[in-house]
Amino acid sequence: MIDTFFSSGTLDTPAAFLASFLIGLAFGVALERAGFGSSKRLAGIFYFRDMAVMKVMFTAVIVAMLGVSYAKAFGWVTTDNVYFLHTLYAAQIVGGLIFGVGFVMGGWCPGTAAVGVASGKIDALLFLAGAVGGSILYNEAYPIMAPLTANDRGVVFGFESLGVSEAAFAFAFTLIAVGCFWGAEVIERRRTGSAGYLNSRFLTVFSAVLVVGAFGLFAARPRQPVAPAATAQESALLTGLQAGADHIGPEDLADRLLGGDASLLPVDIRTPEEFAQFHIRSAVNIPVADLPAALAPHKNRGLIVLYSNGMTHPAQARDSLARLGFGNVYLLTDGLAGFLDACLKPVSLRGEPVPPVQAAKIRAWRAFFLSAPAPAAAPVAAIAAESLSAEVETGWLAQRFGSPNVKIIDLRPQPEYNGGHVPGALSLNIESLRGCVGGLPSMLLPANLLAAHFSLMGLRPEDAIIVIWGDKIQDATLFGMACERLGHRRYAVLRGGFVKWQSEKRPLDTGLPVVTPTSYPAPEAPDAFTVSAREVLAAMSQAGTVILDVRPADYYTGRKRDEARGGHVPGAINRPFSDDVVKAEAYSLLKPTQELAAVYANLIPAKDSPVIIHCRTGHQASQTYFLLTRLLGYTRVRWYDAGWTEWAARSELPVSSETPVPEAAK
Amino acid sequence: MSPKPYANPYLAGVLLGLTLLASYLILGAGLGASGGLARAGAFCELALAPARTLASPYFGAWGDQPLRYYLVFMLAGVFGGGLVSALLAGRCVRGVERGARCAPRVRLLLALAGGVISGFASRLANGCTSGQALSGSAVLLTGSLLFLISVFAGGYAAAWFVRRQWRD
Repeated sequence: MIDTFFSSGTLDTPAAFLASFLIGLAFGVALERAGFGSSKRLAGIFYFRDMAVMKVMFTAVIVAMLGVSYAKAFGWVTTDNVYFLHTLYAAQIVGGLIFGVGFVMGGWCPGTAAVGVASGKIDALLFLAGAVGGSILYNEAYPIMAPLTANDRGVVFGFESLGVSEAAFAFAFTLIAVGCFWGAEVIERRRTGSAGYLNSRFLTVFSAVLVVGAFGLFAARPRQPVAPAATAQESALLTGLQAGADHIGPEDLADRLLGGDASLLPVDIRTPEEFAQFHIRSAVNIPVADLPAALAPHKNRGLIVLYSNGMTHPAQARDSLARLGFGNVYLLTDGLAGFLDACLKPVSLRGEPVPPVQAAKIRAWRAFFLSAPAPAAAPVAAIAAESLSAEVETGWLAQRFGSPNVKIIDLRPQPEYNGGHVPGALSLNIESLRGCVGGLPSMLLPANLLAAHFSLMGLRPEDAIIVIWGDKIQDATLFGMACERLGHRRYAVLRGGFVKWQSEKRPLDTGLPVVTPTSYPAPEAPDAFTVSAREVLAAMSQAGTVILDVRPADYYTGRKRDEARGGHVPGAINRPFSDDVVKAEAYSLLKPTQELAAVYANLIPAKDSPVIIHCRTGHQASQTYFLLTRLLGYTRVRWYDAGWTEWAARSELPVSSETPVPEAAK
Repeated sequence: MSPKPYANPYLAGVLLGLTLLASYLILGAGLGASGGLARAGAFCELALAPARTLASPYFGAWGDQPLRYYLVFMLAGVFGGGLVSALLAGRCVRGVERGARCAPRVRLLLALAGGVISGFASRLANGCTSGQALSGSAVLLTGSLLFLISVFAGGYAAAWFVRRQWRD
């Protein structure tokens, strides 16, 4: 088997574009030499005036057919390395009839019109413009026309349809061509009176060469193509799939997923609503229009299995992907309906008797695929329209995961994420958003770097981002600071974090989500809420600003210290972040909002009082920032990210170990 | 300079057949022309209504860079090859090709209408005379052979109605 651009998946590379251009050049020369830069000559065939179209086309068809047939016999060409158009009876017959009308009316077809334009024909230019418009028209009329393209038969050869051998079909086809050539010559002589090639030695020899060439196909035996080097698992899989061409059976898919085959990527192309109601475990939900981009990382890696309720849409999607060089896209035979019927229908409801071995398999499949209960069939809310609260409940998320504009970020350590996570959640180590900035350790990264991270995670400004934390709420709120820095206000923290989700036995997944990188825009101006030591110093020396130190009390007083100097910023008041959290059953929650509101009303004079929050590294302070700004409605809160780490290290900055009386309590 | 006579149609057919064979063996796909035009259509619609086009079920699948496609480059090659060949043969003459007794306006209108119909039909059939009738038939695909037959059936059925454009 030879490597083609198609089989190597490189049909969309510059090298393939160059090769296509060169082949196009030869194509253009051949058409022009044949006289197809003239619409009069092209249309001639429809009035039996000039049969050149038939002679040229039929000759080309037979020459290429003989070439391809011998290449197949030598094992150079198979359905694996050459893209063969699918057969769709209704689309091709109706499309052909309409096309013929356009052909005779316009006097051109698309390829010859390009040559016509090159020959200076203005009618050809109009034909091409019309064809571009006709394509747009089809795109707009697609919903009406789609039923005609519904029944995709896959790659079907004429000899298979007639049930004869390939050589016999090719030989008969060649004889018909030669007969047509001679017939065309007879017609032309009657019409024009000129002899043409009738009874010429040239046509006799030419006909003989074609017939002998076609006869030779009987002697050439098709050889089994040699499979390229592949892993044992892959080649076994390919052999299995070859039997069903480009399909994978429901039972095969079920077995592979049950066995934890990570090379399989089931892709559900139904609506998010349908997906949310039920989908095959480990499937991802991608709208058809997003498939090429979303699946790009999986191009010719592993097996992509497309499914919908039936077969039509996946077949069309597969076709588009195949054209883009995807050689690893398969369809689920009979779609989701077939999967449910073949694998998940209880034994008791089956009409036919089920052998015990099969019954055991069905039970195993049901246990596996039905164990993650489909979330309540509530319609997926249009998140874009609804305002997102600062904290969301697990039940809220359960109705929305899988929705394309809801992105879930899981901040737990990776082994825990790998062991099971909310379906579709992306894993992120929160520390990857911090680094050394200007000599200060553990600083939240500048906006452009955060935007780069967001881009890699496939986040978009319009997404609702739900942040899931493991044992520290402040992990989620620190991610919130990153969102704030990018001006992304549509984020929410999952109330109770992952532990609550898990304790409620909600669906979990171990697959990695498919991510299409985006280009998240970074704001040009620095954020307005991060303050430096200089600004803290200025605030300290003028009354009015509340400096809130959220570290544990022992660090605030200086009894404990990890830095050169212990104590706190003179005038700062202490409200340890941990005092805002309460342990409920297995998981932590922020204390009830009313209780917190009362606490902070005692510490901060008014909702619009200036507040600066800090801790040691900015991490714990992010939790207080979150609850003050997002839950309690304080409007002038700023964040001293560098915190005590910087303050203690810079000996020129004053340190106090007294405890001031909160202003509001005076 | 008077134009050179056309090539022997059978030899031109052999050249075309060998080009098609090369396309199958090198690209792994046949020739195509309407695919490039449809990509141009997607490009135009994207320029006019990007959100609508990306959300549309047919063009939407081609993403936001529909011109990055091998058939677009092939179509450019067809134009280039045709131009070189026509110049060498002295056949590059500006004008509207028509019968002597047909007004240019009528011929141009029919060409435009024929283009719209062909462009539409080539999307329905997933190919035109190049992709389906020529490339598909050469590898004996059932659907392509039926397309080929249907094209001529449709053409002969409509030929009588548009014959005046060629009347001399």
